[in-house]
Amino acid sequence: MLRHCVRELHSPKKSWTRGTPVRVWYTLRTLRLFASTSISSPVGEHFDVIVIGGGHAGTEAACASSRMGCRTLLLTHKLETIGEMSCNPSFGGIGKGHLMKEIDALDGVCGRICDVSGVQYKVLNRGKGPAVWGYRAQIDRKLYKQNLQKEIFSYPNLTVRAAAVDDLLTKPGSTDNPATVCGGVVTSDGTTYHSKSVVLTAGTFLRAEINIGLEITPAGRIGDGPAVALAETIERAGFAMGRLRTGTPPRLDKRTIDFTKTSVWPGDDPPLAFSFMNERPWLKAEEQMPCHLSSIQGKEVVKIVKDTLHLNRHVKEELTGPRFCPSLESKSLRFGHLAHRIWLEPEGFDSDVIYPNGLSMTMPVEYQMKLLRLVPGLENVEIFRSGYGVFYDFIDPRELKPTLETRRMPNLFFAGQINGTTGYEEAAAQGIIAGINGAAKALSKPPITINRTEGYIGVLIDDLITNGASEPYRMFTARAEYRLTLRPDNADMRLTEKGVTVGCVGQARQDRFRKMKRDLERATELLSSVKLTGSAWKERLHAGSVNISSEEAKTAYKVLNHPDVSIKQLTSALREDIPELYDLAQQPWLADRLKIQATYSAIVKEQRFEISEMRQDESLGLPDDMDYDLVNLNLSDEIRGKLKSTRPSTLAAASRIEGITPDALVRLLRYVRKTPRHVTEAVAFV
Amino acid sequence: MAVLTRSACRFSTLPGEKSTIYALSSGKGKSGVAVLRISGPGTSDVLMQLTKKILPPPRLASLRTIYHPTTTEILDRGIVLWFPGPHSFTGEDVAELHVHGGLAVVRSTLDALGSFARTREAQPGEFTKRSFFNGKMDLTEAEGVADLIHAETEAQRRQAYRQMAGSLSRKYAEWRERLLRARAFLEAFIDFGEDEQLDPGVMDEVKTSVQSLHEELKAYLNDHRRGERLRNGVQITIVGEPNVGKSSLLNALCLRPAAIVSPIAGTTRDIVESAFDLGGYPVVFSDTAGLRSTDDLIENEGIRRATARAQTSDLILLVVDSSNLPELPALIDSSPQRPHQSLISQRLSEFGMQISSDQKVHLLFNKIDLLPPDALNSLREKFPSDCHFVSCTEDQGMTEFVTGLTDVVKDLCGGASVGEANLTQQRHRQHLQQCSARLDHFWTLLAGEDVVLATHEIQQALRCIGRITGHVYVEEVLEVIFRDFCIGK
Repeated sequence: MLRHCVRELHSPKKSWTRGTPVRVWYTLRTLRLFASTSISSPVGEHFDVIVIGGGHAGTEAACASSRMGCRTLLLTHKLETIGEMSCNPSFGGIGKGHLMKEIDALDGVCGRICDVSGVQYKVLNRGKGPAVWGYRAQIDRKLYKQNLQKEIFSYPNLTVRAAAVDDLLTKPGSTDNPATVCGGVVTSDGTTYHSKSVVLTAGTFLRAEINIGLEITPAGRIGDGPAVALAETIERAGFAMGRLRTGTPPRLDKRTIDFTKTSVWPGDDPPLAFSFMNERPWLKAEEQMPCHLSSIQGKEVVKIVKDTLHLNRHVKEELTGPRFCPSLESKSLRFGHLAHRIWLEPEGFDSDVIYPNGLSMTMPVEYQMKLLRLVPGLENVEIFRSGYGVFYDFIDPRELKPTLETRRMPNLFFAGQINGTTGYEEAAAQGIIAGINGAAKALSKPPITINRTEGYIGVLIDDLITNGASEPYRMFTARAEYRLTLRPDNADMRLTEKGVTVGCVGQARQDRFRKMKRDLERATELLSSVKLTGSAWKERLHAGSVNISSEEAKTAYKVLNHPDVSIKQLTSALREDIPELYDLAQQPWLADRLKIQATYSAIVKEQRFEISEMRQDESLGLPDDMDYDLVNLNLSDEIRGKLKSTRPSTLAAASRIEGITPDALVRLLRYVRKTPRHVTEAVAFV
Repeated sequence: MAVLTRSACRFSTLPGEKSTIYALSSGKGKSGVAVLRISGPGTSDVLMQLTKKILPPPRLASLRTIYHPTTTEILDRGIVLWFPGPHSFTGEDVAELHVHGGLAVVRSTLDALGSFARTREAQPGEFTKRSFFNGKMDLTEAEGVADLIHAETEAQRRQAYRQMAGSLSRKYAEWRERLLRARAFLEAFIDFGEDEQLDPGVMDEVKTSVQSLHEELKAYLNDHRRGERLRNGVQITIVGEPNVGKSSLLNALCLRPAAIVSPIAGTTRDIVESAFDLGGYPVVFSDTAGLRSTDDLIENEGIRRATARAQTSDLILLVVDSSNLPELPALIDSSPQRPHQSLISQRLSEFGMQISSDQKVHLLFNKIDLLPPDALNSLREKFPSDCHFVSCTEDQGMTEFVTGLTDVVKDLCGGASVGEANLTQQRHRQHLQQCSARLDHFWTLLAGEDVVLATHEIQQALRCIGRITGHVYVEEVLEVIFRDFCIGK
């Protein structure tokens, strides 16, 4: 790091003599060491947006920014690890699938790539109502990487380079906005890149350490070095940071597993796609690979865990660790008597690797082997790689605005695991928002923000920036207040229009979206236009058993609400009266969506008051530089402290902070400004 | 803002898409006049249904009768003011109801306002927020309002909650805890049921626990008919043999000749009802036919009705004629601890009346002016507070009797605490009723096999309880999930 400082010291006067004070850029490091003397000259390439990191957040950010029309540079340690799935070989799940649908609705890439890279597609929670269906797929790691890289390397407006970023270029703020501004990066070989915005998606690589047993190695992922200099840079800029831990299970050799002792879990027939752009994924039902299920239980497991505790640094320190995604060790210590499910997941069509989901562990390797061999089917198992734990730095996400720009340093955005989340989907969701907003900033356009009433992405970001992360944050459907409205089936109707407005949605998707929207609205309209009495419906539907009250006249849409009435039944019964409806409903996606929409219409109606009121509060913005110490605000010390550390961006966000009283909210009202009502544009929420 | 239009069933932008809110905006407690404020798009509708008339002229005080929209009973007669938006405090349609300040009136009017589908009680500061949002408020006012809210709401809620009888607040907290646990189990089932090894009995446990909670809640709500008493009045039936002075008692109480009073035995053959306000509480007195054996068909019918009425009333006033009481010498000399009990049960069985354990029976000795002072004194000493000694015609002992009776009525209406606490309790009751209604839905939806919709009802039920005990945060739910289940990869 001394290298840059020296280099920059050699050419200090240049920019003075050229008289271009606007273009004076410091690096954070020189700022600290030589603040009074060192001035760097602006050399190096210029981009609109620079994205640091090629993981799931970084790739979504880079693509989104490029789609917005910005010249974008993606910098990553190694080109060949772009699109690496470092942990489980699957995408989606309950809550996570919702995020993927929303990313796709904003024209993101991960859903489409999964549709051509899966080995098995399965919707979880089929029996629990479509609001919580969890779209999920087992992914071929190699294919995913291949397909994603192919896309990334040919993405318009996007330049990809391999380099480690060590430092950020900064500039002191102006008098009316004194915060230091970010304006580019410096890589480890000293190259300088300038940009209007920087999106940092460093994942778990900041000062990362890998831990097996008592052994600790500095590494971001097995085989990849950590980002130490960058972490120091961020720390020096004054960001509040913390440390989190996560883990991954050993990788098993498929050829040494006796699958006859496990149960087989096939994929769906027909398999369903993630992306609204695709009718179906690339595989036929019968081409899918199965997963296998085994379990682990018993005193022996607990004994091994207890016997190796003194050899297990990770678990010793994990006692206050995450409540979910815990290591097998923690699970055994806390729930020793229970059986734990072990999913044996394939890593690809031509891969001999099996990922044992549920067996994350960090004990010394020889004990990992002992323990693995207690699992039915794994009696003779061999492993390719042991399980390990990772400790890494993360940034307190309360430093962020809802746009994911840092409050401390304008033009710098953070996204992904660096903000304290866990999971590919959570990372990608932040990535796309940070990418869009980095680009919007570079283009001087209004940013996109998604609130809690509009999507799981909104819930995710709002939770993070309001409450911070005391453990890796994972999405559950339980976190969404408006779960019945925020369904996977209507993610496009909720978000695509917003995406079009901000400019992140390509033409092909716009066209498809408009067609789908038109069909859906037309079909809904047609269904609402027919009204018959209950007895007439029974006769038409040949459904004597169906419990439709006879007297009251009901529209076809209302009748569809009934669990025993299918769209096929209904449209066939009305075929002669409304042939158009019958034809429309021949599209499977439309038929499915109409049924779901009708099922939830009553409750969505009930929620609409609540939602619109919450949205109104969301449009009451609190200034970023709000001075909570103002005497005439008259807030108690406790409340002032909470508001200062969280800096809620809206009155609604303030009201969600625990311990904020109604009178404090009213006091804040006088400082509130009404933000543009972009949150309330016509959004079809069905 | 978004609205669900009927034809396309989707949101589009329409202004004013908000719920209609209401609150008591004058001070709490007993006052001459109470002002209730309503604001929101449904205000005109609410006003018309409450008054059963078209809207009064804007911003002019109009006298109207106020009805309960569902039961159509008359609640009060008062001044109604109609402020169509945007020329109102909040900028929305606003109405004010100026009603009599008695607790019963205020409570039943709040109850009536809450019975509309799209109305709800205003949250603290909500009128202010709406007025700000609609550009109606000078922001320097906000702080003053904040002080007011601070003084009146949050502090009050906490205080009221804290001051609640220990057992009651424990009960609410316990219900909340159980509901929270049920919700957490449901959430675990939804979010982790497929990936993780959950205890297969999770859903059964939820069902059992919700069922027992629901039953407790219903029993609690039915208990002592308190809500009904507040709405319809405490039912007091005056019974006794002919000519002991029942009707005179009612007349003395009402200070007006509500019932026909005459010295001929058997005059009151039907039931005469008289409703009035006792210390702010609604009371309905029923004067009944004198009870005796007779062959007169009409009189017998009167007696049958009297007996039936007495058996459904909250309080029976058993009137005896002190000057004509065969048991009197025995009572005066007797040593048992509660000698009046034997007298009461003896009379009631003579009349063929069976009373339930939550019915109160008070003994009233009338015509005490005809007793020798010694006998009266020794009676007073022997008999506890649920016996009264009056002379209706001579106006003796009536003040003490009315005071004693008021205490009993207060007690029947939900405790002898001050009015403010009672208002709070009434709100609690509303929240509990909503909670119970949500649980009813829960069972229906669970049968429909969409567990997410069913869970939604539990969430809403929890919110209802949360309005009493404080909010429920998602974190709390997750806490329970991760404490009770092994979730991980």
